[in-house]
Amino acid sequence: MMLMGAAGCAATDSVDEGPGAVYDPIEPVNRAIFAGNEVVDTILIRPVAETYRDYFPEPLQDRARDMLRHLRSPLILANELMQGDFEGAGNVMARFFINSVAGLGGFVDVANHNNQGIPFESEDFGQTLAVWGVDSGPYLVLPIIGPSNVRDTVGFVVETLADPISITSRVIDSTALDAIGYGRLGLSIIDARARTIDATDELRATSVDFYATIRSLYTQFREAEIRDGEIEQDIPDIPDYTDFSETESDEPPAIPTPAEEEEVSELPPVPRLDLAPDVR
Amino acid sequence: MRLASLLILALAVVLPAGKAAAVQDQAGAQAFIRQLGDEAIELLRDSAQSSAGTVEGVRMLFRDSFDVPTIGQFVLGRHWRTATEPQREEYLSLFEDMVVETYARRFNEYDNQGFIVDGSRPEGDRDVMVSSRITAPDGPPVQVMWRVRDRGAGNLQIIDVMVEGVSMAVTQRNEFSSIIQRNGGNIDALLQALRDQIATLRAGG
Repeated sequence: MMLMGAAGCAATDSVDEGPGAVYDPIEPVNRAIFAGNEVVDTILIRPVAETYRDYFPEPLQDRARDMLRHLRSPLILANELMQGDFEGAGNVMARFFINSVAGLGGFVDVANHNNQGIPFESEDFGQTLAVWGVDSGPYLVLPIIGPSNVRDTVGFVVETLADPISITSRVIDSTALDAIGYGRLGLSIIDARARTIDATDELRATSVDFYATIRSLYTQFREAEIRDGEIEQDIPDIPDYTDFSETESDEPPAIPTPAEEEEVSELPPVPRLDLAPDVR
Repeated sequence: MRLASLLILALAVVLPAGKAAAVQDQAGAQAFIRQLGDEAIELLRDSAQSSAGTVEGVRMLFRDSFDVPTIGQFVLGRHWRTATEPQREEYLSLFEDMVVETYARRFNEYDNQGFIVDGSRPEGDRDVMVSSRITAPDGPPVQVMWRVRDRGAGNLQIIDVMVEGVSMAVTQRNEFSSIIQRNGGNIDALLQALRDQIATLRAGG
């Protein structure tokens, strides 16, 4: 929020302003990495994800996804507790228990069978930092991983280091555990990508500036995740259209309409874009 | 918690009574969105059989239910003020074409989606936020919020759509502002980009 305020005040041509503006001081660098990611995606990740989606049996894809989510339970629980979200923490524990016992050790999400029950909720250390009041910092595009910001990058590194499997593999030197770790990372990327192929294709085809679209979507989507779907959010004022055709002149109409275009310094509130929540 | 309730109390005292008395037609807004959902699903079914008329169907829905000039003006942001009259007119017409072509593409396959209106809440003095879910046979429901402006006397129009917390108007605004900035603040560059984009969408569809 602080950041948005700063961007709102600086109404220079070089700074994006207004509702939802994203602070992106190293945009040229980010755009270059973004372009590189697009290449890697086109020649490697997307084809693999498409093959996985089209040829790997769908029930097995679901089992893989359920297991990937199950394995994240300890970290999600830790983050719920650090955020003081005890209801969320209870849900994670209930899901973990139910799926461990009745869901073949986590391969079947019986706790949310047919999307009825306790839904999976993604929490990560980037969100926890946000709840603690840490500002997002500048927008970043990371190689391979994609859209992020300084806060979420720190969160991602902490999550990676704090993951039980990666801790264990550092304590006991085991190639088997290493293999599990890398396999899981690879599968996370493919799983997340496979579920967003159509949405990203559509978005790319209908965007004039794909980079700017993704930047806005990522930022808004993260804000929504941080709020956990609660309604309290800053919504921009949308001024009524000042009807110039009736007055037939360039002068503003006589009837006062709410603020032409204030520099609203707050972030408001698309196709559902699971921007790789499971990769974390 | 205590601080929050104190704050609410303080606001209740400070805010003029007339402000608090602003009452939006919530039931009307919900019915309006429900009807739009029904019309859209009908159009989806028809389009699945024949794509003829889909673009015009989407255009009619968009024009009838959305306040295109208000959305367009918001999306252009501060550049609206510096735009000339002809630029504004052309921009609004291109903006409508672009939205219509973008959404008409998505109307080509109907997969038994359902549309459920869940409720609503007032947003500011004159808007109602109607929440809904779009359900599909496979996959979790998608939460969609409709920001409806109530101008009284049953005059209701959508001014924003939020999908899973992501505002379409804000996303579009960020994108357009990026294009203008990258072209040295030139609005004609955006108009040209929109013309090209519409041509590409039409050729592809």
